[in-house]
Amino acid sequence: MNKILTSFNTFAFILLFLSFVFSVFSITTLKVDETQSIKVNFYELIESVEQPKRLSEARPKETIQQADLNKIEKNSEVKKSLDFKKYKLNKPDIKRELSKIKLSKEREVILKISAIIQDKISSVWIKPNSLSKVLAAKVLINLAPSGEVINFEMVEPSNDKFFDESVLIAINKISFFEEILGLDRKLFESNFRNFKLVFKSSGEIE
Amino acid sequence: MKRSLIILFLASSNIFSILEIEIIKGSDSLSKVAFVPFGIEENVNENYGEQISNLIEKNMLLFGEFENLDKAEMLSFPDSEEDFYYRDWKIMGVDYSVIGRVNSVNALGNLNISYSLFNINRRIKILEGEIVGKENNIEGIAKIISNRIYEKITGLKGIFDTKLAYIVNLDTETYQMCISDIDGKNEQILFTSAAPIMSPDWSPDRKKIAYVSFENGLAEIFIQDLASGERESIQTLGMTNSAPVWSPDGKSLALVVSFSGNPDIFSYSINNKRLVRLTNHYGIDTEPSWSPDSKKIIFTSDRSGSPQLYEINTQSKRKKRLTRDGNYNARGRYFPDGKSIFFVHGNEGNFQIATKKLSSRFIETLTSTSLDESPTISPNGNIIIYATKEGSKGYLGGITLDGKSRFSLPVKNGSVREPAWSP
Amino acid sequence: MEPIGIFILAMVCQFYSCAQNVSDSVERMQYASVAGEEYLDGEKIQTNLDDKVYFDFDKSSLDADDKNLLEQYLPAIRKAKIVRLEGHCDERGTREYNLALGERRALEVRDFLIIKGVSGKKIRVVSFGEERPIKNASNEKAWAENRRVEISLY
Repeated sequence: MNKILTSFNTFAFILLFLSFVFSVFSITTLKVDETQSIKVNFYELIESVEQPKRLSEARPKETIQQADLNKIEKNSEVKKSLDFKKYKLNKPDIKRELSKIKLSKEREVILKISAIIQDKISSVWIKPNSLSKVLAAKVLINLAPSGEVINFEMVEPSNDKFFDESVLIAINKISFFEEILGLDRKLFESNFRNFKLVFKSSGEIE
Repeated sequence: MKRSLIILFLASSNIFSILEIEIIKGSDSLSKVAFVPFGIEENVNENYGEQISNLIEKNMLLFGEFENLDKAEMLSFPDSEEDFYYRDWKIMGVDYSVIGRVNSVNALGNLNISYSLFNINRRIKILEGEIVGKENNIEGIAKIISNRIYEKITGLKGIFDTKLAYIVNLDTETYQMCISDIDGKNEQILFTSAAPIMSPDWSPDRKKIAYVSFENGLAEIFIQDLASGERESIQTLGMTNSAPVWSPDGKSLALVVSFSGNPDIFSYSINNKRLVRLTNHYGIDTEPSWSPDSKKIIFTSDRSGSPQLYEINTQSKRKKRLTRDGNYNARGRYFPDGKSIFFVHGNEGNFQIATKKLSSRFIETLTSTSLDESPTISPNGNIIIYATKEGSKGYLGGITLDGKSRFSLPVKNGSVREPAWSP
Repeated sequence: MEPIGIFILAMVCQFYSCAQNVSDSVERMQYASVAGEEYLDGEKIQTNLDDKVYFDFDKSSLDADDKNLLEQYLPAIRKAKIVRLEGHCDERGTREYNLALGERRALEVRDFLIIKGVSGKKIRVVSFGEERPIKNASNEKAWAENRRVEISLY
């Protein structure tokens, strides 16, 4: 019974590991500054047991796994962990890390789109000379899923008329954010349908 | 330039929070303005339309604060709101358009000129005005219109009708005290001498200039009335008098008097000729300048071992040290808003113009040449002009405080130095 | 006993400040008369000595070479009616500060001469700051030549 469970666990692990490998590769193509390291203990050590005999007894079933094992034979760490110890699949940890991976993927997309929006607005914002004035103005932007700016509204003006005016002029110049177009619908709705731009002046010479 | 772009956001899974993106950095580019040749009424000289818009354009481009649209690229030449189409200007990347009309000339030689300013991005007219002025003073009319347009676009006071005083050293035996319009036109020589001239300063009402002359063999302060040309020497009992600076109310001069070879700061009341001592230290105290609210005077002192900037409260006479970074900080002046100072900062053998907020200890250098001195600021606090050197010749350079524009004033015969911007 | 001590102290101070006032007004008289500079119309006494004393940047102190030169001047100075000391700076730094620095350099030389027995009444001190350079170039060599006090005898 234990033997069956162990083999089944091994098989499940292999599948899981392969899918993890593929998804890790796809994350690294995003060019964002933040990097995250994910630490997962896939296995929880239960006991140390010598099992060479059992392996030879369960030969028919094992041939299947042996073929699979051959695929990942290059990963010597895995092989080592299968040799003489018994492990239990660490489900709660794996679940948690999987959801973290998903969240960090989303976050990286949001960061990437935000950086593009920042650059676009900065490139057209003619900021008035603001030595000695620390100012902040907040504008609420309303986008369509196509990236088109439907509406914008100054929700928290700074107390400087010309600063506010320069902000509105800048937004006026951008009517369309094309990077929004291909965005996952759910991400768009929760982050980019309505978002705020916070324009700041540090009061220093730049 | 700093490239720190920060993104704030709350957990994206929380549907009640909203994504906030910070925009800190602005564009390096300048606002683009189209100066459309003014239209003319039938009885008006046809040159006036082009002339007035060219003068306005030249003014606005003087310090590199704006970009212009070439006339050759203009799609239309409206002279009234009815003929004005925002589309024509939006296509060309224009931010503001100036149009106008020269309406009439009457028998007295008075021109009636109307003008309008449009904000292309917001699609609205933001200014409209009418001016009457003498035909032979079309430059003066253009200055007034330029000031109004500048103020509407930037929110800062226009400076196109201000003047610059400066000293020209033609050769070792010829020094001239000069003034000119801020664009360099209408230069007048106020005083010529075979001995050096230094430290010009404008009175707040722009009617007089104080300066130092060595015509009698040592440093002596003279006040010259611009209208009459009369010169009056300030007599104190000290050995030398120098570094005169007018108080904001025009009633006193802060100056340096050297009794027994020790220069100290004094305040000299012009009407009753009374001298009040402000510093009393065996070190060198010099280069005083008043704060805009008259409550403080900034000065240079080497009492700590090297020249640094200090501030004295004119009422309590309490002194405060303003600079600590570097071993040479001198010739301090206040910004018009009184919250920051600008001065000459020595850094590893280079002398550059720097600024510092009074509330912070960080110095920011504005220039990157190495023999910069005598900075002076525009009345709207947006532009600093200073003296610098190329080879053996002095000339005047300038920089806008948003850092976007650097320029130098046209080179003249002789070495130019010690600029002073009129109020 | 204490009141007497204070009284004596006060008398001493009075004498001292009197002396100061006298010397101040003497000095003022000296400087005021420079304004005329009529002596400059007179004959300048020629010596075969170098007529300049040099200084380091932002400094006004005399080194051994300077003092040596000044000592050599003493005989000629004793014969002269007026000793004119003109202080100068190099172009670096600000003009008004340099005006004061030039003055200080000239005063250093004056003080040295007085210690050596020259009468203060003979000595005229003028500063031109950076306004009268000898060399108009912007390099170390030119700057070193401009940081000087010029000695003229009349």
